[in-house]
Amino acid sequence: MAALWLCARHELLLAVRSRWLQWFAAVFAGLALLVASSGYILSGGHGLQDFARTAVSLVQLVLLIVPLAALVFGALTLSPDRGAAEILYAQPVPREVILAGRVFGLFLALGAAQLLGFGVAGLAVQWSAGPYGASQFLVVVALSLALTAVFVTVAAALASGEPGRRARTLGLALVVWFVAVILFDLAALGVASLLKSGAASRLLITAALVNPVDAGRTAAYLAIEGTAAFGGASLALLRFTGGGASAGAMIAASFLVWVAVPAWIAARRLGRADL
Amino acid sequence: MIQYREFTKVFGIHRAVDALTVEVPAGAVVALLGPNGSGKTTTIKAAAGLVRPTSGEVRLGAEGRPAGDAVARRLCSFLPQRVSFPDALTGREVVNFYRRLRGLPGEATDRVMRFASLNGAGNRAVGTYSGGMTQRLGLAVAMLPDAEILLLDEPTAALDPDGLSTFDALIRSRRQAGQTVFFSSHQLGDVERLADLIVILVEGRLAATLTAGELAARLADRGVMRLRLAHAEASVLARVQAIAPQAVWAGDDLLVPGPAAARLGALDAVRAAGGVVEGLSAEEGRLDEFYRSIVGGAT
Repeated sequence: MAALWLCARHELLLAVRSRWLQWFAAVFAGLALLVASSGYILSGGHGLQDFARTAVSLVQLVLLIVPLAALVFGALTLSPDRGAAEILYAQPVPREVILAGRVFGLFLALGAAQLLGFGVAGLAVQWSAGPYGASQFLVVVALSLALTAVFVTVAAALASGEPGRRARTLGLALVVWFVAVILFDLAALGVASLLKSGAASRLLITAALVNPVDAGRTAAYLAIEGTAAFGGASLALLRFTGGGASAGAMIAASFLVWVAVPAWIAARRLGRADL
Repeated sequence: MIQYREFTKVFGIHRAVDALTVEVPAGAVVALLGPNGSGKTTTIKAAAGLVRPTSGEVRLGAEGRPAGDAVARRLCSFLPQRVSFPDALTGREVVNFYRRLRGLPGEATDRVMRFASLNGAGNRAVGTYSGGMTQRLGLAVAMLPDAEILLLDEPTAALDPDGLSTFDALIRSRRQAGQTVFFSSHQLGDVERLADLIVILVEGRLAATLTAGELAARLADRGVMRLRLAHAEASVLARVQAIAPQAVWAGDDLLVPGPAAARLGALDAVRAAGGVVEGLSAEEGRLDEFYRSIVGGAT
């Protein structure tokens, strides 16, 4: 456990000193502020939205940006550089422990950058519009951290293996992002439109659980504003599970599986790799 | 002690090491020699637990623990060929991280920083280090634990003369402490100065196991004596060729290849034939030629 925490702190320190992460924190904070004010701007008003409206507006930003950042940072950070990996993994600590520490450290770093962004936007909203809807804002923060955990472990699964394949891993990470965030929904809806009602529902329910981005979207809207903002897949899931609580539990289970399975694959790949 | 038993490693279709059976005795300094691509790095990395045998086994220590075993990794310390560390950390932060990973006390950092002559640069970011300084930092990390076995893959490749002195001191101190050092090198000087035993790999196979003295003698036997004579005379060459048949003229220089023991006789033959020697030099045999001769079975 001490070695895991040591590796996590080491990774956190490296990430904090990384200009890329500093840029990400700044850009994320700027975008969060922009989103907080854009709702009124688009409707001809001015000033910042309250927490509830900001939370709804932030969901799309989180679903788009957070998986991308986690995958790209994960691919770049966790792909073993030969000279560094050789001396690190020759230490008398199991490879899996070192990897788990590094993944956890990267999660902490990305999480801290996001919290900084949410914090800046949150302070501005609180100052401008008061605390109404703060709990819904916190749901989006939690969603952001959950997606970070999922996609950092997915990046670890892609990156673990033979050293010196960083470019390939980065390419794969971008493909995963494109599929999860953009292609998956379109494909699921397209296929569902060709199926009969029952089969289409089952497909949409599966789609809402299988893809962590969809699961996150469903969970966020469920917590923020009920079923009003639901798309077809989310609505089908809610009908299937019979209520918000069980739908939430299934989504939580989906997230846990999406952390556990890639983490297991990453550990197994690294354990078998010749470094 | 390190024991390789029929150790074979295949990467795809490339057989990097083929049925290597050799023992690195406890307390010995053993050099691993061989041309590029001969399997030296794979052999050392297998002992460090980084490369898993395709077949055969690699065992460490008196108890013969498999190299991949966590206990075996505690017995050894490893320096890779091209070590690298995060640019954003200082040298001291790097050493401290590895020290804590090994569970060593804080004074170990100061000890190795002093030894590696990195005191002046310890608080600078690794990104500002030269290749030689990074190599020294790697040496510092490798010598953090008082490990029973030290595994070093071409440790002197980027070192300046000061770094070489540091490296020599490290090896000597480990030898005095009865620890085992297994290192690969292309530097004949390192091998002659430091190694008790030399293992030669060629094309992934064990080609020879020699003492340092035996290697020096074999290289000397493949050396060339170059005599600069006042005049190139046929009679001189004929007398010398009776002793060293491969002797030839190269301008006014008489080249006498062959065993070192024959050189004195060749010199006497030159003088006896009336040759006037104006200069003399001797070159040792080259390692690459030696490897080729081993592959050709002409050891």
